Amino acid sequence: MNKRPILAGLFLISVLSGYAQAESSDAGIAADILQVKRSVLELNKDLYELEEDLLSPATTRAAFYFSLSYGEFFEPLSIEVTGAGFETVRHIYTERQVAALRMGAVQPLANINLGPGKHRLRAVIRGVDQLGQNRELVVEQQVEKTDKPLLLEFVVSDLAEQQSAGAQLKFW
Amino acid sequence: MGHFIRFLFLSLLSFSAQSAAAEDAARLAPGQAVEDFSMPSAVGGWGQRLLEQRGKPVMLIWLDRCDRCEEQLVRYQLLAESYALDELSAWFIWAPYNNDQPPKMRLPVLLNDRYWPQSWGFDPRPAIMLINQDGVLDHLILGDLSGHYDETEKTLALWMAEQQLQARAEISNE
Repeated sequence: MNKRPILAGLFLISVLSGYAQAESSDAGIAADILQVKRSVLELNKDLYELEEDLLSPATTRAAFYFSLSYGEFFEPLSIEVTGAGFETVRHIYTERQVAALRMGAVQPLANINLGPGKHRLRAVIRGVDQLGQNRELVVEQQVEKTDKPLLLEFVVSDLAEQQSAGAQLKFW
Repeated sequence: MGHFIRFLFLSLLSFSAQSAAAEDAARLAPGQAVEDFSMPSAVGGWGQRLLEQRGKPVMLIWLDRCDRCEEQLVRYQLLAESYALDELSAWFIWAPYNNDQPPKMRLPVLLNDRYWPQSWGFDPRPAIMLINQDGVLDHLILGDLSGHYDETEKTLALWMAEQQLQARAEISNE
């Protein structure tokens, strides 16, 4: 009886089984890598949340927004928001940004930290009127920060009867 | 305590990132991406934001001390306007000094002032920056504007031709 085919078969089986073992070990490593990647992503997310909580907890979180209603009588060129307890917020508007505001966009102006209590805010919106003359719209108002986030929107809207524009503060 | 240490670490990290950004602006060299900025107009009108020009070639002309120096800039204005059809955006950037008045030009004259946090400065001036459609600085020409006009004209012509070729290649690839 020729033993060669049997030996060759046994050899082939052992090679294939070794290959299968190596493959399953590779698959195990790949699964481990995937798990590690997931853990890193979760850790990163936790760190990000921790950073957010540390830098801007809900008790001090406040945000300013800006919007323009129609904008026939006023085109904003810049805005400046001042108040005690936070750094002055300044923004320069471009033609494209104002076009977006006219189409209804609400601009997230700034996220700030504001301690609980009453605060006096002053916003100066510089721009030009329908005649091309420089104009300033000023909003000065006291706001109260509680332990919840404070979201404020500066709204510039047309006052058709007066052929002019006015600015006001809206609470979300 | 652990929170305080993490907070301190994050603050230091954020501070070092800000310092690095400021140093990058000062060390800007060809091949580097140009950081975004917004600057108001020095003469009234719209402010400009660099990022909004992405996809177009941009020429920034950083002025040295200038008090109504229109005469010095008029050749540069005509040069930039000759490429308007090729969508070149060109801005003069003027910094106030004592009682100097900004030049009144047809091209936007931007006010470079530390008052505006979205802005950054560049030194040495005068300087001319050619920024490609990807927001990368391709050419930086330093020195007196009058003495470097010919160099700017030649560099701009070659560069605009390259920009056009690149734009056409991108369109044909699509």
